Amino acid sequence: MADEKIICETPAVRVSAGSENHRRGLELLHEVDESEATVTTAAVGSVGYVGLEPLVIASVEGKTAFFSRPSIEQVETIATTLDDETVPTDEAMAVVEHDPATASLPTPETGPLGVGFRHVLGSCGWLAPTSIEEYTELRDDLFTERAEDDPENVRGDVMGTNLRGRGRGDASGDVSVAEEWTTVYETPGDPIVVVNGNESDDHADGDRLLLESAPIAVVDVALASAIALDATDVVIYTNETETLACERTQEAAAALDDVSDTDIPVRVVTGPDEYKAGEPTMALEAIEGNHRIEARRQPPGPSEHGVDGRPTLVHTPRTFAQIGMILEETSLRGATSDPGTRLITVADDDSTLATVELPTDATLDSAVSAVELENGWNGACVGGVFGGLTRTLDVPASAPGLSGARLGTNGVVELLGDSTCMVALAGERAKFAKEMNCGRCVPCREGSKQLVDLLRTVYDGEYKRGMLRELARVMRTTSLCGFGRDASRPVTTAMDEFETEFTAHAKGNCPTGICNQS
Amino acid sequence: MSTDPIWERSHDDEPDVPLAEDIAPGTANDPDASSRERVTITVDGEQVETEAGATLLDACQAVETSGDVLALCSYDENSKIGPRSECRTCMVETEQHSVIPSCSFPPRDGMTVYTDTEMATEARDVNLDLLLSNHNLLCTTCGKNGRCELQDVSIENDVVEPRYGVMHDRSELEPIDDSSPFIQIDRNKCILCNRCVEACNDVQVEGVLRMEGSGENTRIGFQNGMETMMESTCVSCGHCATVCPTGALLEQGLVDATTLPVPGFTHKTSAEGIIGEEYDHQSTQRTPMKSELETQNEPKASEPSATGED
Repeated sequence: MADEKIICETPAVRVSAGSENHRRGLELLHEVDESEATVTTAAVGSVGYVGLEPLVIASVEGKTAFFSRPSIEQVETIATTLDDETVPTDEAMAVVEHDPATASLPTPETGPLGVGFRHVLGSCGWLAPTSIEEYTELRDDLFTERAEDDPENVRGDVMGTNLRGRGRGDASGDVSVAEEWTTVYETPGDPIVVVNGNESDDHADGDRLLLESAPIAVVDVALASAIALDATDVVIYTNETETLACERTQEAAAALDDVSDTDIPVRVVTGPDEYKAGEPTMALEAIEGNHRIEARRQPPGPSEHGVDGRPTLVHTPRTFAQIGMILEETSLRGATSDPGTRLITVADDDSTLATVELPTDATLDSAVSAVELENGWNGACVGGVFGGLTRTLDVPASAPGLSGARLGTNGVVELLGDSTCMVALAGERAKFAKEMNCGRCVPCREGSKQLVDLLRTVYDGEYKRGMLRELARVMRTTSLCGFGRDASRPVTTAMDEFETEFTAHAKGNCPTGICNQS
Repeated sequence: MSTDPIWERSHDDEPDVPLAEDIAPGTANDPDASSRERVTITVDGEQVETEAGATLLDACQAVETSGDVLALCSYDENSKIGPRSECRTCMVETEQHSVIPSCSFPPRDGMTVYTDTEMATEARDVNLDLLLSNHNLLCTTCGKNGRCELQDVSIENDVVEPRYGVMHDRSELEPIDDSSPFIQIDRNKCILCNRCVEACNDVQVEGVLRMEGSGENTRIGFQNGMETMMESTCVSCGHCATVCPTGALLEQGLVDATTLPVPGFTHKTSAEGIIGEEYDHQSTQRTPMKSELETQNEPKASEPSATGED
């Protein structure tokens, strides 16, 4: 059995894995526990690099070695070497010297692990995800306790910032968190706080990472927010397929309940594994238990008419993590127009994922080396399923920077190699919109159908540029929710950046050759 | 105080309408769309004062607007129906919030609204054409011909040739539900405005109709999961047909009322198939599910006559 607390322990082995490699991680951990070696062990969450996991992290007194996907034999050797109080370095992907008491994952200067920096991700893959003992030991008081003592102070801290919400699942995504808090606080009724962690976009890994690797911090901040806003309950809304995130969040909530004085209940509610169900108003529908999920008309938005018509604060785990940084009174890094950091999941052609943290004034290309690319990349889709296509990643990671470049802000950079046809990709995304929309409003339901048809006519030899532009524009400006507003982005940005490929397709020629194969 | 024992007894029983919590229309818990206070806004340069409870569309309708604000799916808001804000043909441009749906955006004091900007006009035109792209446009075999709201707004908006075409492939048409002796359903003409669902659930509190499916499979269905009107719990009150803006829900007697008199050219032949014809000659004109329900829910006072024991 893995130990409850891992910080400062020496020698220590951490096996870091997210849900995808969780089972294999437990196997490796079991191997260390079964060995003769006297080492402290812990199953920690992912550090963010799904492609490298399970990652075995071996430490002795301020020196740590990282092993990516080691074999059982390798793990045995690691355990025996540690037993001699020495850090095994054979076949290690990186060895780092650090402060033995560090609360943040020590990272090497170079290599994928050195990309970006670790602020909200600091504890991910380093601290035991559900150890309340470790969590409380590292800070003077919980955010929850601080909010109990002085709710006005917490409220003031958040309402005094110009932080913007993170992700498409946030009711204040890319806009002012302070305004959302003010509306929730001032609207009559019993407020409720929702942590929207249901993200079914396979590439957008930031929220899952936080819920699996640092669930206590997310719940602690959500609870503190609830206290500060006089809310009566907290709902953590996750994807029904994310069992690990769900379990850990539940454990974190129970552990916090044991050590804090607050009597605000925390409920974990799961929603369907569908892209639309992550949209904030559809999240509310799922939480209310509606058998059919469709978008809710706005305005007023969730801050005034949320769960059961109550004022509701809907933030993603990513936003709560930023609020945690504000409450820790560390001054937020990044651009002044969009302070803080952003979690960016980089995905290569094989969908190997690496989630890194960038200050908002860094550019996206600084995240690229988090994955190893064999053949480079020709373009990228930035912002998730409905992201924007681009040839360059010399774009700031801030909301104004990204939207100025017509890219999406949901924290994904998909690198596209030679084997990706941009016209086909735009078509796939339009088809996704057509199949996955909730069916409520005309521009999204009927518009996505016509969008697919218009793209099909490109293959039939007719590139109706003006009609595509017009339709995409109306979908963007008149759709009822974020789903429809974003749905045409892949098409318009593909037309902006890869126009020659559209004209080539209309002449029956796919430059990559992919569309000609079938 | 009544002393009639039958009346007294009927009150002790289960209510004879479904309880609101049993009703599952499949639609979202929408907020109220009207403003809470009187506001003054400017529409196409004209000042309009609106009462508390008014929508932006009310304000647009109070003046002679430069552009035609179509507002197809909108219905009288005093009737508990809408605004659904589904069709998006009521879009107007504002200085404060860009392009917004006038039917459901609460007016805010000092708002400046334009109805004839390029963006607003384009939005209404494109969305109307999108509606028509998924509509069986055989007006000449439709019983709503001449009293159809979709037809009216299309004429008002000078639609000559919808840019995305119309639904013309007969094989893609859904069969007409002709099972009920009172109301016929032709889903090929449905624009999913949700008026019927709200009339059925929020006004009549019958809990028969619902919105179901998603994406292009979104359709009006029945809360008991059955496929035809006759197998549903419909009480044939007709409110759904009254509020339907198109020929999707039609009183059976009016099905061919406005069809052009050409032999063999009827509403029923306008779609590929018809379901529910087996109910044509059934003796009872009630839906079977409703009569089963009645024995459970009707006040006991009416039981003797209902079961014929008198």
